[in-house]
Amino acid sequence: MFRFFLTRFSLIIPTFIGVTLLTFALIRLVPGDPVELMAGERGISPERHAELRAAMGLDKPLLVQYGDYILNVVQGDLGNSVVTRTPVLDEFMTLFPATIELSVCAILFAMIVGLPLGILAAVKRGSIFDHSLMGISLTGYSMPIFWWALLLILLFSVNLGWTPVSGRISVMYWVEPVTNFMLIDALLSDEEGAFSSALSHLILPAIVLGTVPLAVIARMTRSSMLEVLGEDYIRTARAKGLAPLRVVAQHALRNALIPVVTVIGLQVGVLFAGAILTETIFAWPGIGKWLIESVARRDYPVLQGGVLLVAAVIMIVNLLVDLTYGVLNPRIRHGGH
Amino acid sequence: MPLLDIRNLSVEFSTRAGKFRAVDGIDLTVDEGEVLGIVGESGSGKSVTSLAVMGLIANNGRVVADKMEFDGRDLRTLTERQRRNLTGKDVAMVFQEPMTSLNPCFTIGFQIMESLKVHEKLGRSDRRRRAIELLEKVGIPAPESRLSSFPHQLSGGMNQRVMIAMAISCNPRLLIADEPTTALDVTIQKQILDLLLDLQKERGMALILITHDMGVVAETARRVSVMYAGQVVETRSARDLFTHPQHPYTGALLDALPERALGKRRLPTIPGVVPGISDRPNGCLFNPRCRFAQDKCRREGVPLFPDESGAARCFYPLQVTGGVAA
Ligand SMILES: Nc1ncnc2c1ncn2[C@@H]1O[C@H](COP(=O)(O)OP(=O)(O)OP(=O)(O)O)[C@@H](O)[C@H]1O
Ligand code: SF4
Ligand SMILES: [Mg+2]
Repeated sequence: MFRFFLTRFSLIIPTFIGVTLLTFALIRLVPGDPVELMAGERGISPERHAELRAAMGLDKPLLVQYGDYILNVVQGDLGNSVVTRTPVLDEFMTLFPATIELSVCAILFAMIVGLPLGILAAVKRGSIFDHSLMGISLTGYSMPIFWWALLLILLFSVNLGWTPVSGRISVMYWVEPVTNFMLIDALLSDEEGAFSSALSHLILPAIVLGTVPLAVIARMTRSSMLEVLGEDYIRTARAKGLAPLRVVAQHALRNALIPVVTVIGLQVGVLFAGAILTETIFAWPGIGKWLIESVARRDYPVLQGGVLLVAAVIMIVNLLVDLTYGVLNPRIRHGGH
Repeated sequence: MPLLDIRNLSVEFSTRAGKFRAVDGIDLTVDEGEVLGIVGESGSGKSVTSLAVMGLIANNGRVVADKMEFDGRDLRTLTERQRRNLTGKDVAMVFQEPMTSLNPCFTIGFQIMESLKVHEKLGRSDRRRRAIELLEKVGIPAPESRLSSFPHQLSGGMNQRVMIAMAISCNPRLLIADEPTTALDVTIQKQILDLLLDLQKERGMALILITHDMGVVAETARRVSVMYAGQVVETRSARDLFTHPQHPYTGALLDALPERALGKRRLPTIPGVVPGISDRPNGCLFNPRCRFAQDKCRREGVPLFPDESGAARCFYPLQVTGGVAA
């Protein structure tokens, strides 16, 4: 177990170097710079342009810029946004809860729906239910997120008028930001109806973001469950005269979950990627939308810092997943014999 | 009245290659407290038979029988729930592979206590006490501390002891041990076998001991049935079977025993394998491997011929004719 974590930690440093190098290089490959974009239509004189670029340190050779950047990062300084002038870390911290709230709800939705469906498909292997579920999940897996989002918006927001189209809560409510998680803050506030408003804003984006993980989880649960159901110890459980529900939900599921947890962990990366589109479509004020805007504004520090922080979060979550894996699987927890 | 009474049991699997009769019209009776040995090579249908008795045949299998009674109750008409109340309680089973037959995600203690909870409705502390007693009974050292062990922390022999503890936890009246020692080291095999027989005697439970080792049944069983390709080819008392085998297959199995091959340079073996789904011959199923096969054997199916001490499925039984071709 200890060695296992040591190897995991030794991977962190190269990953960070790779991430910083990539974002640093890629954003500078995009034509235009922050000064030009801030000046906008009005334009700017070449002297003033050069002056401002120098003020941001953009006139130095790229390698020096990168070196400066890394030096600052190592000291915990991710720089300030060139647009708002606030520290990148502060902006991240205020926006991050919105993304967490959305992602957590999305993955919860995916698990609550995907696990039972996958289990049922495995138990009823070869049935019409099984075949149609696998067909649908393949569709869900390959569906473009923005198209799916627009479809849901058209149906539930435009035609049926059930859910709002954008934002985290209706403008009618003012909710004190205590935790920055809108659902919790809305519950804490004494504004009546704030919670249901927050919830109705969350539902569609969470479904959209949760669709791909849902499909992945359902398929993985099914195949893992099928494998486990053929194991000798399942036969033993049945030979003890246990009820089928107990055999499946306890003896089989516990084993089947081990690979599923890994897959759920891998979905964290997928979630962040999906959050970028989903947040943009639903005007959800989170990290995804923030990053997209930083590209549009060539806000180099925000993009570099933001991507770095997201990468850190993904790595932490993956580590946590590995820990859960150990909890579920005694063979890892105790090592061999 | 026998404890287990089965007549004309067949199990047919539908596979991609078509229908396959893994068990073909066998009779099986076991009296209270009796040890019945079932012997046969790999693929002869021993496990499928025992699974059919347990009611654990996979979905692609169909079980039919003229009679299937346990303690006078017709197993064919029980509801699933009634059947479950019987399996694991009155009829229990020990499997061949101890390392994979225990659930890797649950502790030994949990897996033993689970049966006690489901069948005996015991409270938590009673279950724990009983589990420790059971582990002690099957010869596991420091049973109390073993309760929280996982199967992967124990050796194969220890796991098989746990399986046995689990199987006898609800005092079954019939225990089916399906090749309980095949996967174990030779030194451990004897210990496990002795343990099973001690428990059988002590509790007076009936035991069906399945094995492919003639030597094992010789010392243990009162009666022996020999299975080949899904059929019982010979059945009689262990003593008669060993002194006067009638079926050529039984004879060949006995000849293959090391203690009978003393003085011979090589252990005689039976060439070929048990026919599978695609290569079942016409006539006597053993005829391609039989030294005494005649034309009739290749043409006509053989019924089980009763004789003074049992029955054999052969047109030209050994002791009577001495084997025609011999
Ligand atoms: N679920 C199943 N579907 C199809 N065929 C099966 C199934 N279960 C068993 N069989 C077949 O039935 C035949 C008898 O198998 P069985 O496991 O009873 O043999 P066995 O006598 O126990 O052999 P071994 O000594 O290897 O345990 C084999 O040919 C096997 O392939
Ligand atoms: S019937 Fe014929 S082939 Fe079959 S065992 Fe007897 S002698 Fe051999
Ligand atoms: Mg077997």
